[in-house]
Amino acid sequence: MNIVLYALMTYGLAAVISFAVVAIIVVIGKVMSRPDKNEEESTDA
Amino acid sequence: MLETLANLFPGIGTMFAMDPTTAIARIALIVLGFLLAYLGFKGTLEPLIMVPMGIGMIAVNAGTMFLAGGEVGNIIVNPLVADTESIMAAMQINFLQPIYNLTFSNGLIACIVFMGIGARSEISFLLAKPWTSIIIALFAELGTFVTLVLGVLVFGLAPQVAAAIATIGGADGPMVLVASLMMAPELLVPISIIAYLYLSLTYGGYPALIKLLVPKKYRGIDTYVETPAVSQKAKFVFILVACGFLCLILPVAAPLFLSFFLGMAVKEANVSHYTRLLESGLSYLATLFLGLLLGVLCEASTILNPTVLTILILGILALAISAVGGLLGGWVMYFVHKRKGTEFNPVLGIAGVSCVPTTAKLAQHAASEENPFAMILPVAMGANISGVITSAIIAGIFITTIGMVA
Repeated sequence: MNIVLYALMTYGLAAVISFAVVAIIVVIGKVMSRPDKNEEESTDA
Repeated sequence: MLETLANLFPGIGTMFAMDPTTAIARIALIVLGFLLAYLGFKGTLEPLIMVPMGIGMIAVNAGTMFLAGGEVGNIIVNPLVADTESIMAAMQINFLQPIYNLTFSNGLIACIVFMGIGARSEISFLLAKPWTSIIIALFAELGTFVTLVLGVLVFGLAPQVAAAIATIGGADGPMVLVASLMMAPELLVPISIIAYLYLSLTYGGYPALIKLLVPKKYRGIDTYVETPAVSQKAKFVFILVACGFLCLILPVAAPLFLSFFLGMAVKEANVSHYTRLLESGLSYLATLFLGLLLGVLCEASTILNPTVLTILILGILALAISAVGGLLGGWVMYFVHKRKGTEFNPVLGIAGVSCVPTTAKLAQHAASEENPFAMILPVAMGANISGVITSAIIAGIFITTIGMVA
């Protein structure tokens, strides 16, 4: 493979993997930050 | 008479026994070692690496002597021994040989430093502006890819060698060490030395680049950041999942990911004994020996290797282009935030260059100079941590796929 093409391809691949990692952070952060229903109810009571 | 003096003071005597170029290189390296250690002492360069490295350079180039069989060498370390028998013999003579063979030449020392970086990294900073941080970090890898292309097309290097040198653009010492070990083991020593030397120079060079590319009125912009309230449990789960995901995708870089996320995991799990050990004990011990080894590996013969000049040129280009790339990313984010009606300091781009925490501190310092109330460090640290992750990803990709280049 040509080096320029390789550099572009690997830059793109690095971006995809990096965004996937950030997506994992965001999703886990959102899912786990959701207030637990039971916990909310017991607090209300 | 002269022979007696040479035997009495072999450090000086060997100067006359070797060819003049090597002797001059030895003297130059002693002077350079003094300069680096002194600049480390003054805080102009990173003292953690430069003080031991400078002293090591002085000692190895001054302490050259006549060995058995009339050879000229030292009893500190011999990086060139390869076969098992010679390594065993060298380990019993050279006092730093065990550290070199058992921690440096297999990348262990880099992984320990990485554990310390993990233990000092706060994931909340990344969670504050995750997308912005990662975009800046990707821009700040520009130097890595440009250098890879230049190395092959302009300097005619083998793709593996060019890729190993290009990782200097990621500005992460441990990563450069591991990448060189895997892709260009014959150049492990010069690439690592030059990478750490340049990384220390970022202290001096990057502020000038910031001033050049970001006009004064923009440097003092305060960047509002609301750190989301994320539980320790969420952070811990993220660390485990991210580590598993990255090891699954790029197994060759698994030692780096494992080390980094292990440091983070013990911190989030409140294992204070481990955190203290990694943060202030083990990682500093590893850094001390890393600096010392880099110094004692700076022998005249290593520096006189013709490839060193190419590494010197490509290394500085990689770091400079990465910094420009990072600041370009900062500008892109500035305009993106402006469209959304929020403020973003373009100086933050420099923090994408993952020299933890140096570039984040440089960004804060540049902002504080213009506006003492500007607090951009949290966002800068997020970009810094993203930079570490992207650098490890790129090193893993290179090691896995560089064979595809014809």
